[in-house]
Amino acid sequence: MEKTDSRRPTGLLLVAVPVLLMAWLIIWPIFSAIGRTIWRPDANGETGFTLSSYVFFFSDQYSINNLMITLWTTGVCALFLLLICLPIAIYLRFSTGKIPAYVQALAIFPMFVPSIILAYAFIRVLGPNGMVDILLNSVGLPKIRTPYLTPWGPVIGMVWDNIPLTVLILLSGLGSVSNQSIEAARDVGAKRLQVLWYIILPRISNSVLVAISFAVLGIFSSFTLPYLLGPASPEMMGPFMNRTFREVNDPINAITQAVITFCFCIAFGLFYVRSVARNQGK
Amino acid sequence: MTTIAPTRPRLDWTGIVFAAVLSIAIIFPLLVVGTWAFTEVWRYPNVIPQQFGFRFWGQTLGRPDVWAALTLSLQLSTVVTLLSAAICLPAAYAFARLDFPGRSILFFSFLAGHAFPKFGLLIAIAAIFLQLNLIGTFWGVVLIQLVGTLLFMIWIPVAAFQSVDRRMEEAARDVGAGPFRVFWSVTLPQAGPTIAAAVLLSFVGTFYETEGAWLIGAPGIRTMPVLMISFINNQMVIQFGAVLSVLLWVPSFIALIFARRVIGGGAFARGFGG
Repeated sequence: MEKTDSRRPTGLLLVAVPVLLMAWLIIWPIFSAIGRTIWRPDANGETGFTLSSYVFFFSDQYSINNLMITLWTTGVCALFLLLICLPIAIYLRFSTGKIPAYVQALAIFPMFVPSIILAYAFIRVLGPNGMVDILLNSVGLPKIRTPYLTPWGPVIGMVWDNIPLTVLILLSGLGSVSNQSIEAARDVGAKRLQVLWYIILPRISNSVLVAISFAVLGIFSSFTLPYLLGPASPEMMGPFMNRTFREVNDPINAITQAVITFCFCIAFGLFYVRSVARNQGK
Repeated sequence: MTTIAPTRPRLDWTGIVFAAVLSIAIIFPLLVVGTWAFTEVWRYPNVIPQQFGFRFWGQTLGRPDVWAALTLSLQLSTVVTLLSAAICLPAAYAFARLDFPGRSILFFSFLAGHAFPKFGLLIAIAAIFLQLNLIGTFWGVVLIQLVGTLLFMIWIPVAAFQSVDRRMEEAARDVGAGPFRVFWSVTLPQAGPTIAAAVLLSFVGTFYETEGAWLIGAPGIRTMPVLMISFINNQMVIQFGAVLSVLLWVPSFIALIFARRVIGGGAFARGFGG
């Protein structure tokens, strides 16, 4: 009896509102953005196919600089995230006890600190005359060159912000590495690094890519931290788009910049969605 | 008679190093903010504030813009969370339990929002809101924040409904319970805690949501995080920001305590693709 009931479209009705909302506010804006930037009135007022806003972006040195600083920040953040989170995740996977529990709690903690509070804490600690300067001064050392308002400001902030999910994703991937396979490798005389390189990394390469994709998608167009901690010029794509849209009041060029960020992230986005969908399907 | 000496566990040096470094990198900055919130005078280069006190709490809480932002943020988060629960929970139940055409593709289509860089997507949405005159309005911000909760509020409850023991439901039905009674007495108590965690996280997430509120809401709508941005950018009194940070934190800590179970579990990381 249940089977005959279940083919009825009741389900479709129940999911209709969120699906329509998603179609209207996620799918449609993306197509609309692409459409509006390539199909619009030219100088003579005739509507037609034009790439002029893209040509402008890639011929404007300021835009190019912003794109470059964004690529640099994203790359550096991804690298640091891996260097910091992979050892933490491996340590957590193969230890038990009070200390690993504490380390895990700390590693997840930034998830519960809004980036706006992080930005404020960053300025108080690493900013000019911040806590680090105070401590250095008290032991007679010179002040640091503050990373606040330099490209390193957003890097530090965003690495801090992204540690929890990166560790969680890597840890989840490490779940598939069995203790036996490690012990077997140890028994035949493999060193620590060899175990890491030949046993662990190949098994979690997918998780590593997922973690990187997730971080890249978040960092490439991030707004709050670059806006508050980064330099005014060149600025990352997030603040750049915000300024073009809000202050310069130029929606077409802002959308063009958005579509360009989509293009740079599309490979990571597709890979990420594919992996999540495959994991859920299991 | 020989006694075997208990082998003392080796000191976990790796763990101690990680714990020490992470404590400094993660707890220390927050402690500094906490100290600033209860400081009345702290002149460089003193290591310890010269005078502690609550004077700036009174001043911060006496500011009309802080109160306005706090009420607005609470209103927004409540409206968004209620709307989100109202439309997402039935959908989650349908995804978990009912069979209908296009079920999988629709279920995974909610990932679309995560396949694109978020701020770029916000700009594309803002361009559409510009034509609809939704920029700077309460409902514009509600819509943008509502979209942000969709994936979360559907996927976690779906997992909750799926983990309910079907045999108990069938047993209840066998002894004569109606479908509503089964849902109320068997399904909900099992799925409830996870769903409550999802609702709580969506409330906290909305409360802290900054970028949508900043891009869509300004200048009319000033939520707490948006106010905090302006405090960071152009407020000379350091303590206002510190007090606001500590205030903003309360919901976060509550969420941390209640949501630990969900986040510690593997389902959460798998939801992010781990």
